[in-house]
Amino acid sequence: MLIRPLAPVGRLSKQNGTGSRGMTRTDEELVARAQGGDIESFNQLIVRWERPIYALAYRVIGKEEDARDVCQDAFLRAYRALPGFKGQAKFSSWLYRIALNLCRDWIRRQRRAPVSQLPEDMDAIELASEKGPVESIEDLVARRELSAIVEEAMSELSEEQRTAIILKEYHGMTFQEIADMQGCPLSTVKTRLYQGLSLLRRRLEQQGQVMPQLVKRV
Amino acid sequence: MNDIFQCGDSAALVAYLYDECAPDELALITAHLKGCAACANEIDALSATRRTLASWTPPDLALGFQITREDEPRPAKILEPRIAWWRAPLPAWAQAAAALVIFGAGLSVGAVRNTAPEPAATTATVSAVPVAAQPAASSVSRDDLAQLEARIKAELTQLRSSSNTATAVVARGSDEALIAQVKTLIEQSEENQRRDFTVRMVDLAGNIETQRRVDLTSVRQQMGLQQGAIGTELRQQREVLGRLVSERTR
Repeated sequence: MLIRPLAPVGRLSKQNGTGSRGMTRTDEELVARAQGGDIESFNQLIVRWERPIYALAYRVIGKEEDARDVCQDAFLRAYRALPGFKGQAKFSSWLYRIALNLCRDWIRRQRRAPVSQLPEDMDAIELASEKGPVESIEDLVARRELSAIVEEAMSELSEEQRTAIILKEYHGMTFQEIADMQGCPLSTVKTRLYQGLSLLRRRLEQQGQVMPQLVKRV
Repeated sequence: MNDIFQCGDSAALVAYLYDECAPDELALITAHLKGCAACANEIDALSATRRTLASWTPPDLALGFQITREDEPRPAKILEPRIAWWRAPLPAWAQAAAALVIFGAGLSVGAVRNTAPEPAATTATVSAVPVAAQPAASSVSRDDLAQLEARIKAELTQLRSSSNTATAVVARGSDEALIAQVKTLIEQSEENQRRDFTVRMVDLAGNIETQRRVDLTSVRQQMGLQQGAIGTELRQQREVLGRLVSERTR
């Protein structure tokens, strides 16, 4: 069994038929089918979750290619461990946990502060392809600069703070889900979020990026 | 959650910020924020930070992972050509059985030849004097058996050589099919690579154009800023000069 990367997305989307004329199956249904040996169902889960998992890995470790490797490894491990998945948690939570563990392993291997430098290709090209022709070049330049500033500011947080903020801000997890994911009490998650956001705020204010509207509520 | 909210309670403020506090706590914090500018400003600043965080987007990388099985039907199976049953080499047991049949047939032919010149007498002898007829028959059949043995050996040798030839032909045939299949696969692979390369080149050209436009805009913006700064400076200098001239005139 192997996982094949880099298939053209167009071809993949053609392969992404549900087999039931547009009827979208839930994660649970696809997991059950995959556990029964239907590889196509697992491939549908990959199509559904590869973007979020890649985004998580990229934001945590900050390297494009390494994030892709982590993403690939996460799906491979999930596939191998699928017979043992009993559905105690949501499939996505289980997958996120696998990916986060792999990110942690990667960070330990690197033995240096992650997200310490901007990736070579993190520039307007990706942003342009993401936004399409609707966005003006001026906006694109501004967003590129802001994105780089945020990325740099995030790199200055501790791994725990950064992960908590990423899971909350970009993946919409609840405090409890983050606590489960990070293996810490709920209060610790809140502390990490507050301290992380405060550090970010100061850093971004120094860069002139955060200008809160001071509303007098009195 | 705490029943009594204390001013500056970071955990409660974070819960409020992410809209994850209990209803009673929500009411307490909302009421507190109306009267506490420090906490209200804190919430506003953190909200603004959150809005800024939204601008951080990961690169749009082509992923497209897919699980495939190693034990799926592979082209190697297709590469094995089907051989007609009559061309396929016989298994060892079949060859042995065929040899036995030939040996038996040869034996019976030899026996028939020996007895052919006087079929009636033999029959009569056998029937009338069976014991006397036996020595004569056995002495003839030994020589014949030796000949027969030699003949069967020759036939077996011939059979073996013909079988080897057939196997070689079949092997050659399968090799040709294999080579043809490999060639087809190589051609398909090259075609795919050509197509991928073209797609990538088109993407690259588009990306380069986008980057060029972005750089141009940045340069224009910088130039505009510089020009603006120089213009402002010139204007200020003119004003100063004008002021000096007017003072001197007075």
